[in-house]
Amino acid sequence: MIQRPGIDPRGPRFSAGITAVVLLVVIGLALGGLTFAATILFALQGLVFAIGAFAGVQRHPCGIVFKRLVRPRLKPPLELEDPRPPTFAQGVGLLVTVVGLALHLLGVPLALPIAAAAAFVAAFLNSVFDYCLGCQLYLLLTRARLIRST
Amino acid sequence: MVALALAGLVALATLLGMLWRASQGRVRLAAGAVTGVELGGRATLLQLSTEVCAPCRATARVLGALSTHDVRHVEVDIAHRPDLVDRFNVLQTPTTLILDRDGVVRARIGGAVRRDVVAAELEKVA
Repeated sequence: MIQRPGIDPRGPRFSAGITAVVLLVVIGLALGGLTFAATILFALQGLVFAIGAFAGVQRHPCGIVFKRLVRPRLKPPLELEDPRPPTFAQGVGLLVTVVGLALHLLGVPLALPIAAAAAFVAAFLNSVFDYCLGCQLYLLLTRARLIRST
Repeated sequence: MVALALAGLVALATLLGMLWRASQGRVRLAAGAVTGVELGGRATLLQLSTEVCAPCRATARVLGALSTHDVRHVEVDIAHRPDLVDRFNVLQTPTTLILDRDGVVRARIGGAVRRDVVAAELEKVA
């Protein structure tokens, strides 16, 4: 099996935590009627997802914050993890954000808070419960023969 | 009002997380036999994994530590064995099948495994 662990697993959990808070703010702004602010913040989160998805989680803005500011204060991790699942998860987040923004701009009501809520649940589950949505989706896509093992 | 909605969302997400946690590592009954895998003398710990699977690494370590001269740990990438995926309706990775010496499935565990749970099941296999 592929064995290329490389990153501190707390980095992506930290990023997911920040993401979860940002998305809660987006939902709060959207439900509170501050739609423009919500849209901008959601789009910025989408941009962060894009950086994580394409440049890898190590270059993720929150990942960098973690590496510089948080990690030096922590004991070394017990084990390292493969960066691919969290990177894939960023791609999923990006997709949800893009679809949410598109539907919102097309005038679909509540598209913004619903999309942000979906992304929030994923980020929250990852940060608090270590649930890997990227892993789950990867399996389902492999089952559907849409992905081939490299 | 908005605060209530946000609190409700967080509560819902927390509930989902707790339900998911509770379902991980549980032993379920399963039937069938597995072929095409090199079996252990007494039992086989067959781990079905995908390439992109964070919990699979930890599970591989636990199962590897439980392997002995007659209990074999075998890890299979499900991309190479779609037949097993379909037969056992694999919905998450890792999924661990505990086989007896003839390849008959005696137990099935979804999600990251717990050592004590696997050890207890291994006791039951002849």
